[in-house]
Amino acid sequence: MRKTKESKGNKGDLDFAEKRTANALYKKRAGVTESFHPVILLVYFVGMAAVTMVTLHPVLLGVSFIGAVFCTGMLTGMRKLLKSLAYSIPMLAVIAVINPMFVHKGETILFFYNNNPVTLEAILYGAAAALMIVAVFYWFKCYSIVMTSDKVIYLFGRILPRLSLVLSMTLGFVPKLKKQYKKISAAQKSMGMYASNSVTDRVLSRFRVLSALVGWALESSVETADSMSAKGYGLRGRSSYATYSWTRRDLFILVFVLLALGVLTAGMSLGAGVGFYPAFKGISAGLWDIVAYAGIAVLGLFAGLMELWENIKWRLFVSKV
Amino acid sequence: MAIIRIEGLSFKYNGAQEFALSNVDLEIERGGFVVVCGESGCGKSTLLKLLKKQLAPKGERPGKILYDGVEIQSLDERTAACDIGFVMQNPENQIVTDKVWHELAFGLESLGEGSGAIRRKVAEISGYFGINDWYRKRTDELSGGQKQLLNLASVMVMQPKVLILDEPTSQLDPIAASEFIATLKKLNSELGLTIILAEHRLEEVFPIADKVVVMNKAGVLLYDEPKKIGGLLREADPEHKMQFGLPTAVRVFKDLGGVDGGGKGECPLTVRDGREYLERNFTNGIKSLDGLNAAGKPPNNSRDAAGDSKTIPKNDAGREYAVEIGEAFFRYERSLPDVLDGLSLDIYDNEFLCILGANGAGKTTLLNVIGGVNRLYRGRLRIYGKKIKEYLGVSLYRHNVAYLPQNPQILFIKSDVEDDLKEVAKLLKLSKEETESKINAVCAELNIAHLLKKHPYDLSGGEQQKAALAKLLLLEPRLILLDEPTKGIDAYSKRVLAGILAGLKKNGKTVVTVTHDVEFAAEYADRCAMFFDGKIVSLDTPERFFSENNYYTTSASRMSRGFYDRAVTAAQIVELCRANRGA
Amino acid sequence: MEEQEKSLSRRQKVKRVLTPVVFFVLIPLLLALGVWAFGDRSYNLIAAAVALLACVPFFVSFERRQKTSREIMVIAVMTGISVLGRFVFAPLPGFKPVTAVVIIAAISLGGEAGFIIGALSAIVSNIYFGQGPWTPFQMFSWGALGFLAGLAAKITVPDKEGGRISVMEKRWALIVAGIVGGALYSMLMDVWTVLAAEGTFGLPRYWAAVAAALPWVIVYAASNIVFLLLLTKPFVKKLERIKIKYEIFTIK
Repeated sequence: MRKTKESKGNKGDLDFAEKRTANALYKKRAGVTESFHPVILLVYFVGMAAVTMVTLHPVLLGVSFIGAVFCTGMLTGMRKLLKSLAYSIPMLAVIAVINPMFVHKGETILFFYNNNPVTLEAILYGAAAALMIVAVFYWFKCYSIVMTSDKVIYLFGRILPRLSLVLSMTLGFVPKLKKQYKKISAAQKSMGMYASNSVTDRVLSRFRVLSALVGWALESSVETADSMSAKGYGLRGRSSYATYSWTRRDLFILVFVLLALGVLTAGMSLGAGVGFYPAFKGISAGLWDIVAYAGIAVLGLFAGLMELWENIKWRLFVSKV
Repeated sequence: MAIIRIEGLSFKYNGAQEFALSNVDLEIERGGFVVVCGESGCGKSTLLKLLKKQLAPKGERPGKILYDGVEIQSLDERTAACDIGFVMQNPENQIVTDKVWHELAFGLESLGEGSGAIRRKVAEISGYFGINDWYRKRTDELSGGQKQLLNLASVMVMQPKVLILDEPTSQLDPIAASEFIATLKKLNSELGLTIILAEHRLEEVFPIADKVVVMNKAGVLLYDEPKKIGGLLREADPEHKMQFGLPTAVRVFKDLGGVDGGGKGECPLTVRDGREYLERNFTNGIKSLDGLNAAGKPPNNSRDAAGDSKTIPKNDAGREYAVEIGEAFFRYERSLPDVLDGLSLDIYDNEFLCILGANGAGKTTLLNVIGGVNRLYRGRLRIYGKKIKEYLGVSLYRHNVAYLPQNPQILFIKSDVEDDLKEVAKLLKLSKEETESKINAVCAELNIAHLLKKHPYDLSGGEQQKAALAKLLLLEPRLILLDEPTKGIDAYSKRVLAGILAGLKKNGKTVVTVTHDVEFAAEYADRCAMFFDGKIVSLDTPERFFSENNYYTTSASRMSRGFYDRAVTAAQIVELCRANRGA
Repeated sequence: MEEQEKSLSRRQKVKRVLTPVVFFVLIPLLLALGVWAFGDRSYNLIAAAVALLACVPFFVSFERRQKTSREIMVIAVMTGISVLGRFVFAPLPGFKPVTAVVIIAAISLGGEAGFIIGALSAIVSNIYFGQGPWTPFQMFSWGALGFLAGLAAKITVPDKEGGRISVMEKRWALIVAGIVGGALYSMLMDVWTVLAAEGTFGLPRYWAAVAAALPWVIVYAASNIVFLLLLTKPFVKKLERIKIKYEIFTIK
């Protein structure tokens, strides 16, 4: 049964996609961060990523990295975190090593490689840049986990209601299209169309199925459009239903996050300067440096600590019951 | 006072030659429950769409449609959107957004309501329709019945005064359809909502309707109370294509000419009333058709009396098998439960087998196993005596097995039917002349020559099915698998389909269908199999299959149970009644 | 009811004024603040913000235009298809039909719809595949490709029968579009890579990154060409049918 094997393979591809989807989107989570108002999540996670992107200061990056990894761990669980670290730490090392191969500035020459000096400063610079990239990666990973599709739609809906509706419709479409793709694929195979195991047939059959799918989707979506019109789409003054409302806790957190971001920004712009060439200088302890260190420590660990505290609280709560 | 009044309405689509509707007059009372029926293409949908301003098709439209005394087209947009709700056929396609809660809020968002008001109304409607449990779900995770209920709720949240439904249950399984109809009844009686419902399946809606509209080509033939429809239809047009769709009790009453043979008397609508009608007006000296056919005299009552006149010779020993499945196990993934759980089933060559069973039980999976799309992880499977593994390459799909999926649309790829058919011919590497003659032969067999130049998506459901079948028949299969072929098509088209399947059988082919449609299986199958819990739990001729089932059986069987033996279709009851009347 | 209408339209008006203020005053102000505060290191961030800002005029005009439900629907369907394509071809590295689907949709539906489909494809597919600092660049590059393809499709050339057809119906045009698509996508993404690694935007480093990415550019371009040559005809045919049957996207 060549065919069954192949259809299985095909199914596998989409299932891979589905698993990604499930991980990224739909798994039930009980994280407390997730219950924050979407605006807070946007400000906090994008803010952390942005702050991380604009510095090469080892202390700031180190704390940011720890905060991001801590938060990811709290959100995904230890096992998944370790798995992803197994990928990202070697990546970090590779980026760190690449820089000294290109850059030969710096006064501390460690050794010569291909008649070029390899300097400590270049290695440090590479390490800092790598740490930055990995930290940003983890902040966005957290962001992707907590910012579910509903929240994306909500945020868009506040400023761009029509675009947010198209977004919601598309998100409804994708699983539907996926199901239909599988059905068409099976039906075509059971007619023996492009069903051999050769690479060309396997690729060509995907094109055919995709093309049939477009036809089906366009034709059947007309009914969807009619259903929209029937429910009054196109009337003037469309509103966007908000399932998220501001609680007092949310307001406190927002004020806190904004204040901390402000302090951190001030600290970073007035202190926490860093230079790598010709000699590394940066880890100083002036007033503004300390403000910046404090700011990033408070802000960077905030989400992870909130999650941890919530866990402890539930443990205590359960033990009391 | 009438809430909707239609006067002298005609309608012609832009660019069309003929009127889709001509001279329609109707008056619909506030709080009424009106059922509109008629064969596909009679103009039902056009009429309903004209009642909803936003959906009204473009074209020439003399006559008036008044809602509360105001012409529909001059209603202001907001009133037209809110007051008249519209639910369509396909549960899936009507859903706009990705989440249940968002779908419920959609209409209110259109009206520009604030979040507070939306929250309150959505909460209320979720409670009324029992949506609370799946309020936060993604819409694509819902079952068909839930989807259609969501569509209804998302219309009802706008608080319409009139609800129009265009064949809302045609894509649902029988249980979901009954629940949906029960919800409509509740809306009508509890809220006084005016309901206009177009339907093919009339068994359940006839008893709860106030008025029934029977349409024939482009016009209204009858508009009266349901219990008068049977008699009136007999007078107006005894050969009307609609008659096959009437509830069993009504059909029996109509065919027997009422109480006296002349059409008089109160028409029964439900099984209970139908039974009473039989008992009061007919004797049961001749209890079953077996005896009637054997010698024209009362038969003995033994269940095992040979009675398979239309089906299989008693002696099955010499028959060849098309499919042999032994202790088959299948699951989609290792961590998931078995869908086929030790299933055994032998299908004879050249028979018409119907596999019945609940929704989501795995009937389609079974077809896919036979069709080679799904592979068993344990068990035996032979097709025409050869192990399925021994069919190499595409040989299983050349002259052996063909599979018609539930939605025939997915077989179409080209932009007209002819190109789609030619593509198959190309696959078989036929010469130009051969291609032409084969296509012509298939078209003649299925009567679709006039559809060749059309776009597949412009065809009606029944036509699409025939065109898809044509595509499969070009591959000259011996075994044809059909998944829910009667879904969404009207009673007359079902008869046409049955005729086609009978023709295929006559040409030596084996036909296996999976279906929910007990009436169809009872009338046309050679054998029926019950699929439950991953196994085939019973397998017999329709007469014995349905007369032994108490709950999962036809209305005719329920109506005649105990009074006549093994009468499972309306036609059989009528025949028995006539015989008894004559006796 | 009247009251409600009025207050609504007021709210709407406020929003109309506020949206451009947010995008054209507030965000640039923030950027200026960023440059002032962080100096050199902030180019990375600014580039992302600029990519995002560049999308705004298209989004705003999409909001303003009265679009029928059917037009909205077709946009959502094509976005869905491009995202699904990314799933379907996920096993083949570098084979992302998004660019091709966006270009094809734009040929048939026009540049504006093309931009929206491109930008939304980036947002939606990243909801599945993971958001990152690359999201704004993807939004802009796919959107811009859609927009350009829509513009290009308006250029007509004589056909064999003496009439005029859109240039995008020509094979060579599709091949050019595929190459441009692959290169543009890669170059814009490489901007980000360089900025991420370097902090500042050095041209030599940029060319080095572009050179390093050359194999990928070739894969992208080749796959785009394959997708475009195979899919344009059937997709456009289907889109055109819908356009005619339902009278949508007619007047541009």
